[in-house]
Amino acid sequence: MNYDYDLLVIDAGQGGLPAAHMAANLGAKVALIERDEVGGT
Amino acid sequence: MHLVARRAADFGVEIEGNVRFNLPTAMRRKDAIVGGIVNGIYSALDRRKEAIDFVRGEARFVNEHEIDTGDRRISFGKAIIAVGARNATPPIDGLADVDYLTNRTALQLSALPGRLVIIGGGYIGIEFAQMYARFGTQVTLLGRNRHLAPGEDSDLSDLLADYLREEGMVVHTSAPVVRVRQNGSEKTVTARVDGQETDFVCNAMLVAAGRVGNTDTLGLAQAGVESGAQGFVTVDAGLQSSQPHIWAIGDVKGGLMFTHVATYDGPLAALNAVKGLGRTVDYRVVPRAIFSSPTLAAVGLTEVQAREAGYEIKVGTVSADGGRSKAIGDTRGRLKAVVKADDGEILGFHILAPHGDDLLHEAVTAMYDHGGIDRIAKSIHVHPTLSELVKSAARAAR
Repeated sequence: MNYDYDLLVIDAGQGGLPAAHMAANLGAKVALIERDEVGGT
Repeated sequence: MHLVARRAADFGVEIEGNVRFNLPTAMRRKDAIVGGIVNGIYSALDRRKEAIDFVRGEARFVNEHEIDTGDRRISFGKAIIAVGARNATPPIDGLADVDYLTNRTALQLSALPGRLVIIGGGYIGIEFAQMYARFGTQVTLLGRNRHLAPGEDSDLSDLLADYLREEGMVVHTSAPVVRVRQNGSEKTVTARVDGQETDFVCNAMLVAAGRVGNTDTLGLAQAGVESGAQGFVTVDAGLQSSQPHIWAIGDVKGGLMFTHVATYDGPLAALNAVKGLGRTVDYRVVPRAIFSSPTLAAVGLTEVQAREAGYEIKVGTVSADGGRSKAIGDTRGRLKAVVKADDGEILGFHILAPHGDDLLHEAVTAMYDHGGIDRIAKSIHVHPTLSELVKSAARAAR
């Protein structure tokens, strides 16, 4: 199966951001989606 | 800041005229700090744009490998849910018909409320109560539980409640709210205090009673991801959800809802998702802090929890009144070390003191590899520092 992305991270808060960066460091094709403002509450 | 200005004379600083607090100025400063952090995040994402596609939109699962963002569909091999949590809406009679603040909106006010009633005696309630009281608002804090900050050492949280009262706040514990009403801009909060229904009239009300996962519009069921009570995603020790190719991190899984836990979870879940490493979380030593003044900070088990867990313990308790705290003019507080009676391993450390959030980490690092209390009790600490209080508590627990 071919997907648009290896990994989708849903919301760019204080958990999603390091998750997305780590996944990118590991060579994954990553999408990070955010509905509001980055950084979380 | 305002409190310091009012106490300036004690330190020999004479201020002529009135000291006033300007909320819009403070809010602008807060917005500038937050804005700087947000810009830093965008810059970091921009530097990684080859590897990370940043997508603006609200994700909704349509099946196990696809989301709808509102204007397009995105397919994915694996996913990490990191949508966080928000304030719960507790089942209080009349709440749906009343305007109230949350921890988000209470940071966006343009004018100080004259009277503020806060429903909820946890960390959000405590922090906002003291902040607005120090800004000049008359604050009433209503906690449902017997003690503020449920789960923390109750000697320390009771002491903190006394300090809040000394600063002019009205603080009631064991005071469940039974109903709220609004008449114009005036609100009435009715709580059961000492068994009697008591009315608290205010012009602003903050509800900070519990959290729920931000999963209501996420379509978890379409992806086959199970969630439990309050919309929190169920995960195993590797942060994997009921759907093996989907993980959940941070507040959305409930439990320890701290930014520093989310930051810990993120890379671990990414390692598991991308490399299949099967790493599991280790939450044995998770520090926590309530940013009150003095700060209530803790790690590990309370005295009561340690006894309930069957440990034979020694407890060292000292007052936060030391040389440095005298010098900075705040001697309020108490520290408590909880250690195993046989070998002195640190089971918990509890600090109510100025900068308690920073002081705590000596105990955190010691606990990380099952360190004994002697590491803190016997090592030389700089004089005069607040860290000497940590050493004193450690010595008292030997």
